[in-house]
Amino acid sequence: MSRFFNALRDGVGFDILLVGAALLFLLALAGAPLLYNVLMSFQQVDMFTLGVLFRPFVGFDNYVAVVRQPEFWLVTRNTLIFVFGSMSGQFVLGFALALFFAQKFPGAATIRGLFLVSWVMPGLVVGAIWSWILAGDFGVLNVILKNLGIIQANVVWKSDPNFSIWAVIIANIWLGLAFNMLLLSVGLAAIPRDLYEAAELDGANAFQRFWTITLPMMRSTIGAVLSLGLIGTLQQFDLFPALTEGGPANTSNVAGYWSWQLSFQLYDFAKGATVSVMMFVLVLFASIIYVRSTRHEVRG
Amino acid sequence: MTRSYTPWLLLLVALVLAAVYLFPLYWMYVTSLKGSSEIFANPPTFWPVAPDPGVYPAVWARRNMPVFLSNSVIIAAGVTAITVILGTGCAYVLARYRNVWIDIGLFCVLMLQVLPASVMVTPLFVGFNQIGLLSYPRTAVVLAAAAKAMPFFVVLVRATFMSVPRELEEAALVDGNSRVGAFFTIVLPLARNGILVCAILTFMSSFGEYIYSKSIIQDPNLQPASVGLSGFLGPNSTDWNSIMAYAAIYVTPILAAFVILQRRIVAGLTSGALK
Repeated sequence: MSRFFNALRDGVGFDILLVGAALLFLLALAGAPLLYNVLMSFQQVDMFTLGVLFRPFVGFDNYVAVVRQPEFWLVTRNTLIFVFGSMSGQFVLGFALALFFAQKFPGAATIRGLFLVSWVMPGLVVGAIWSWILAGDFGVLNVILKNLGIIQANVVWKSDPNFSIWAVIIANIWLGLAFNMLLLSVGLAAIPRDLYEAAELDGANAFQRFWTITLPMMRSTIGAVLSLGLIGTLQQFDLFPALTEGGPANTSNVAGYWSWQLSFQLYDFAKGATVSVMMFVLVLFASIIYVRSTRHEVRG
Repeated sequence: MTRSYTPWLLLLVALVLAAVYLFPLYWMYVTSLKGSSEIFANPPTFWPVAPDPGVYPAVWARRNMPVFLSNSVIIAAGVTAITVILGTGCAYVLARYRNVWIDIGLFCVLMLQVLPASVMVTPLFVGFNQIGLLSYPRTAVVLAAAAKAMPFFVVLVRATFMSVPRELEEAALVDGNSRVGAFFTIVLPLARNGILVCAILTFMSSFGEYIYSKSIIQDPNLQPASVGLSGFLGPNSTDWNSIMAYAAIYVTPILAAFVILQRRIVAGLTSGALK
């Protein structure tokens, strides 16, 4: 017994205790629910069977039912638009800003740091502010765009079926832009200066330097940033209830919000679980790319 | 243009970019100070004609904000406590060794980091319902949100522990310290700043937690401020100066803390997130 306590205090037992406590907690509250979710997606879940573990097994019925829902393909399409729209917006603008702030000028680091406030803001508050900026009749964005001559008439961002998903994308780009910029800045700072000096001596112009030095040197950073962007976009939830609630008529609904609606507004937990299992497969795909692109850093 | 002007020109452009980017925050504060007719003025005023801070105490009382905000603080404190207590030790071990088991542990943590809350909320709700945890909804939210916050905390704090020299700990062990003693008297104090920054980040993000609270907590007296805000927010809201005042009260403490700690937060993130 005393050997046991000695190991706990002085040997590898201490490490196992520290790491084991955290991993047990995570397995209980993240791993187990994940498996339970898969189990539920193959069960019949209703008000009578909600409280038991072994419910009637229905095979792939839930999956068939979800795919047959009239809104399934609309939600799939919206999810793809949302993911690619947000990711490309965040990445392109983030990269442009990172390149700009890589120049040497007074206060560069401080001003760049200010951009990161968007990252600590609660998602629901960001959604509320953008909901007001994007409002149809009195929203300030319409006024600015009209004064710039870009649009003639007001765009009803949140309730026009053609624009509702873009309203959420605009807010999400704002939310994720700073984090993209920060990570890309780290990657830019790691490129050795003398590569650029050598290229300049060889007569390479700015575009050639970007294309032949910056992009190749940033490959693993870009891979990590894109997969983190994909993961972050799939995690986005708060903007939907704040901006459009998935409407009008599901034109701005995406998988994550739809799954929540099925579970918590229609109380159809089996379908909610089914949609979230489908989404998990997508996330798994993204995280494999992420882990692959950071693998050499993880192993140190 | 001579060469020495370039940095100042860049600074000017940077300030303009920052102003454009931070405009939504400015608009939140400005709208909250406008009267209920001025918010619908056309064209909108970019500076309130008659600033009226009276909406703040009104919203504070009418929307029952003290209750909502204290619930937010309770939930965020609970999440931060669990995350720091369990996550710090885990990060320390993951930073200290390098073998295949550590790689597997790290892989698990990274995988759990990417799970969307909207995927987890259905099984968590049904599971909590089965074990009776839904009668203690705030505890349930704290547990769920801590599991969500912990992987990110572990990844960041692990980077902090990596920067603590191994030799210091080994010297303490040679001097007769136990592993426990060396951990608490040498390693933890050296990593304190990094842990503190990550704890503050955890607190900030769980202060804005929405999806678990919205799904699990039904009693308005136990709901956090995010759920309170969603109560008067919808596609057809019109009460914008009150909404913006509510939002301003809610986020100003976070923003102030962020501006004060900006340098440390950015340093902590850049060292951990990509390495």
